[in-house]
Amino acid sequence: MTGRIVAGLEGVAKAFGGLRAVDGVSLDIPAGEVVGIIGPNGAGKTVLINLITGFYHASDGQITIADHNVTQWTLHQIGRLGVARTFQNIRLFRRLSVLENVMVANPAFTAHPLRGLLALSPRRQGRDEAMDLLALFGLADRADQSAGELAYGDARRLEIARALATRPRLLLLDEPAAGMNDRETEALVDDIRKVKPRLEAIALIEHDMSLIRALADRVVAMNYGRIIAEGATGTVLSHPKVVEAYLGQEES
Amino acid sequence: MLAEQIANGVVVGGLYALVALGFTLVFGLLDKLNFAHGEVVTLAGFVALVAVQLGASVWLAIPIVIVVTGLSGLLIELLSFRAFTSKEGHSVSALSSFALGIVILEVVRLEYGAAPLNLAIPTTIYTSGISILGAPIPWVKLATLGISVVLMIGLHVVVGHTRLGRQIRAVGEAPTSAMLLGIHVTRVIQYVFVVASALAGISGLLIAMQGGFVSSEVGFTFALKGIAIMAIGGMGDLRGAVLAGLLIGIAEGIAIHYGLGGFSDVLVWLVMIAVLLIRPEGLLGGGRREVRA
Repeated sequence: MTGRIVAGLEGVAKAFGGLRAVDGVSLDIPAGEVVGIIGPNGAGKTVLINLITGFYHASDGQITIADHNVTQWTLHQIGRLGVARTFQNIRLFRRLSVLENVMVANPAFTAHPLRGLLALSPRRQGRDEAMDLLALFGLADRADQSAGELAYGDARRLEIARALATRPRLLLLDEPAAGMNDRETEALVDDIRKVKPRLEAIALIEHDMSLIRALADRVVAMNYGRIIAEGATGTVLSHPKVVEAYLGQEES
Repeated sequence: MLAEQIANGVVVGGLYALVALGFTLVFGLLDKLNFAHGEVVTLAGFVALVAVQLGASVWLAIPIVIVVTGLSGLLIELLSFRAFTSKEGHSVSALSSFALGIVILEVVRLEYGAAPLNLAIPTTIYTSGISILGAPIPWVKLATLGISVVLMIGLHVVVGHTRLGRQIRAVGEAPTSAMLLGIHVTRVIQYVFVVASALAGISGLLIAMQGGFVSSEVGFTFALKGIAIMAIGGMGDLRGAVLAGLLIGIAEGIAIHYGLGGFSDVLVWLVMIAVLLIRPEGLLGGGRREVRA
């Protein structure tokens, strides 16, 4: 790839009271790459994702996405710029059907919900595109079920499908393999590989190192809100500081 | 006769339901009560009065009322809801909208006094009509019923089967997720306030046309019953509001038939207490609080 930067962080910090959950992080997510973000619990990984998506606003530093300084942008603006995410604890619209979860994210309609209000035909509401996405994740036959009824693995897949429905440039996955067994994790690796060509870049927070090894082109390791190592996946995973950070916390 | 009172009850119940739908839409979306909602019903009558006094026909008054009350919804959202998004925002919005409702009411009273005023529309609208099963039904009641049914079905279709409706339900369930998906949450909320207020406006106009007069007291009465009917039907549930509205309207009609008309204002509250005791989530609530068609 060209090495173009999809998202860039420069000295980004976020303090909650006295605690600096993210403490001066600089990081580039280049086009064409899957960047793995690892680190023990409380290292600041999820806060970092929350900063990139506008859930929190940085106390310091600058966040650039697709050449826009989005440091103070709202969730909705950042979403429309092409950033999508999934959550550690899956957050679907549980009362909407599986299909509706994907249809509601179609960017052609989120900007102007009134346009085509009278277009009652499901096709004109983007039903076919949504069904294609569901088929990609093997969820097509569950389209009319309500999302709250899905099994865990399917719910995780639907969350990724919904994120893709916004046609994002950058997808942020927050511990997608959490709560999955080995077989489900392998399927997840396949799913993420499948969707990679649809995206400019992926950032992947994960504790499951098999997932990181399988997918990440580059890894950033964090501890206490700071980056302690970054570089090629193998190098970072065996970096002494990273091993030390994980000792007694998680096995790497 | 009983059939006549039941027919009346259905018509009044439809009006209750229209007002309750506005309450339940906003509640299902924001988890907040809009206490200014009832006074939009009052406002509608007086907007019609002004329009007719200025020479508009009753047919022209209808769209004028819809536009003005719809816009009043935008104002209510802006003044009493937009800024209060924190957890404490629920009580602040309740207080603020309560105050806003009283402002609307008192401004109307300042200008027009507290006594009912004659609305100069053709009297045939509410005096002549047809007879169904021996019960005389004036045109205005038939029209009210027809309009109520159309609006209810329309709302059901919009919320259940359109892009906007999907966004409304998504925002009602998880506003931050909706926002990140690019949904313009503020705009969706604005649309809902416009729709809810226009529904209150249409009911206010229809209420005024039942007897050819406008009164500043109607908003308060309908607000109270609308809230009760929302609770009885199940918070956020559109079908529940319609069902409960009709039930209460018909029960009131029956009470009037048996000479218990004075009791009808107590009835709705007794029903509400009983329903909440047996099913705290309301008839169709099902333990859910967000908007559903």
